Amino acid sequence: MAPVRPAFLSLLLVVLPTAVAAADSTLSDAQQAQLEALRGEIAAQIQLQAYDLLDELVFGWTEQPVFALETPLVLADVSVPVGFGSGMQALIENHFAALIVKNPRTRVALTHCPQCTAVVVHSGARGTIVSRGVDEPEALSTAGTLSGSRHALFLDFEVEGSALVLRARITRLEPTLPILYAKTLSTSTSAPALLRSGDRLKSAAEAHQEYVDALRGRGLYLVPIRIGVRTYATGSAQVKATPFPWLQVGVEGSLSQARSWMGSFSVGFSWAPELHTGWLAQGRVSRLISGSASSLTGPDLYAFVGGSVISIHGQSALAFQDQIPDLDDLLGLLAGREPDATFGAFQLGLELRIKNRIGAGVFLESLPAMGDAPAIGDYLDLGLIQFHSLGVEVSFCF
Amino acid sequence: METLLIMLLMPLPVFMGRAYDPSPGIFQSKEEARNLECTRLSQAEAHERFPGQVPEPPARGTWAVTDALACTRRFMRSGERPARDEVILSSLRQTVGDITQTASALEAGELTWHVDAFYPEPAVAAKISVAARTELVERGRKVSDRVPVLAAGDIAVLWQLPPKRAYPLACARYFAQGVLTERDVFLGVMIVDARETRLHAGLCVRGEWKWLQ
Repeated sequence: MAPVRPAFLSLLLVVLPTAVAAADSTLSDAQQAQLEALRGEIAAQIQLQAYDLLDELVFGWTEQPVFALETPLVLADVSVPVGFGSGMQALIENHFAALIVKNPRTRVALTHCPQCTAVVVHSGARGTIVSRGVDEPEALSTAGTLSGSRHALFLDFEVEGSALVLRARITRLEPTLPILYAKTLSTSTSAPALLRSGDRLKSAAEAHQEYVDALRGRGLYLVPIRIGVRTYATGSAQVKATPFPWLQVGVEGSLSQARSWMGSFSVGFSWAPELHTGWLAQGRVSRLISGSASSLTGPDLYAFVGGSVISIHGQSALAFQDQIPDLDDLLGLLAGREPDATFGAFQLGLELRIKNRIGAGVFLESLPAMGDAPAIGDYLDLGLIQFHSLGVEVSFCF
Repeated sequence: METLLIMLLMPLPVFMGRAYDPSPGIFQSKEEARNLECTRLSQAEAHERFPGQVPEPPARGTWAVTDALACTRRFMRSGERPARDEVILSSLRQTVGDITQTASALEAGELTWHVDAFYPEPAVAAKISVAARTELVERGRKVSDRVPVLAAGDIAVLWQLPPKRAYPLACARYFAQGVLTERDVFLGVMIVDARETRLHAGLCVRGEWKWLQ
């Protein structure tokens, strides 16, 4: 083995750097992909916030126009946060142009001036100057390419921590390049984008109030209508309880607009021809587990616990007795005697809600008084508690 | 098996509470926690800003928690931009605000302000100068977008000098060549050492250079 070892080590020394380089390369690609995905995600957020700041800027111009008369304006430059590409720049330009077109009260008319942003070369008494057109208005003026535009707008976006800052300035295109107007707007810390409509701009305060009103519009109280089916596990006897359809209606309340905690009370009715008539009263407490506040746009998942009192009248009630139905029970039925059963139940379940309007739920129900009922088995036995019933339901809230 | 299941389910409420905790722990790594910017707000203010998430404070007061911690993830995670650029840009508004406040207080006359930034990364330099110009206009100053430029020979000489000598000399040359007049003031914002993350600033008035910070 001794002569093999140096050979093996030599091979390892040759192979190892290659292997490490390959591993590095794979890792770098993976990181690159992750970085790209992350950039895309961030750009989506930044884009909304940038739109919000532009809305605020243009709304300010509609309230207090910069110019007394309608004035041609060149969008000279849009600079995006350091590290972001030109894709975002194009989106911002388009949104800004749309806002200006939809809001003539700004007294601004966007004009096209490709020479303003192009690099121009100007030779004069002071020498030859190479610069952007907007930085050297004499050159544009001499060439007659200002096309009536005497003012340039610069929009600068930068990410400062968790805030996006917009700095806008309007410069008069004359040799001294005086800045006529400048404004800094920042997304207030942690505030969500207001998403105002471009053709009905309003102040940040008004937009916030609309948001609050939309939340309040949901109301703290709802009337849920639930349609569900309960099935019961088969017990030791050969008798099986039939599935029970239920229709429930009640009232549901939440402690706050966050709807993280909800409570409900409902009454229900069940009926099957020739088999039974049932009544139910139920109370529930639900806890939102998919977030800290219910979503206006996405589904919410709630976990709930509840207690019910159920009363069954008719043949189906025989399944909820402590004994297997015998001949006496059947004779009693023929004689017109209607059996009944009243018992309590505890529920544990999950409900998926969409905008607090439609929901679907699944639950397990424990019937503590049915431990000795031979027709009722259990789906899940946790030792301390047994779940005898499994139910599904859909809810419509009004 | 059932007992084990119950034991596993028992800490669930605690974990659910921890899921929203911004501090590093089970649900959040230290790196993720470092990318958060958190602000403590009163419950009333938090309700005003986040009505869908923070309930209104009880009218009769409460002994329970009455404040909220609003955390937002920084747009750029640490490491995505060069460290020096990130530090400068993250605090740009604050730093430039301080500089322009001091500069405005020193030169309160009817002067035309010119601003330029000297920073190794041109994109960041542009951000700094734009921020300074905008701040000055918002403070009521008359500001020009034109950047004073020296001749190529001057720049070749200044390039060789240490910053402490280069900026005063450049200021003198601006005045001597008539690029800046008595009615002009030039605000320069720069880093003096390539390793530092603090912005310095100086004012050039009538050919004299004054360091602000």
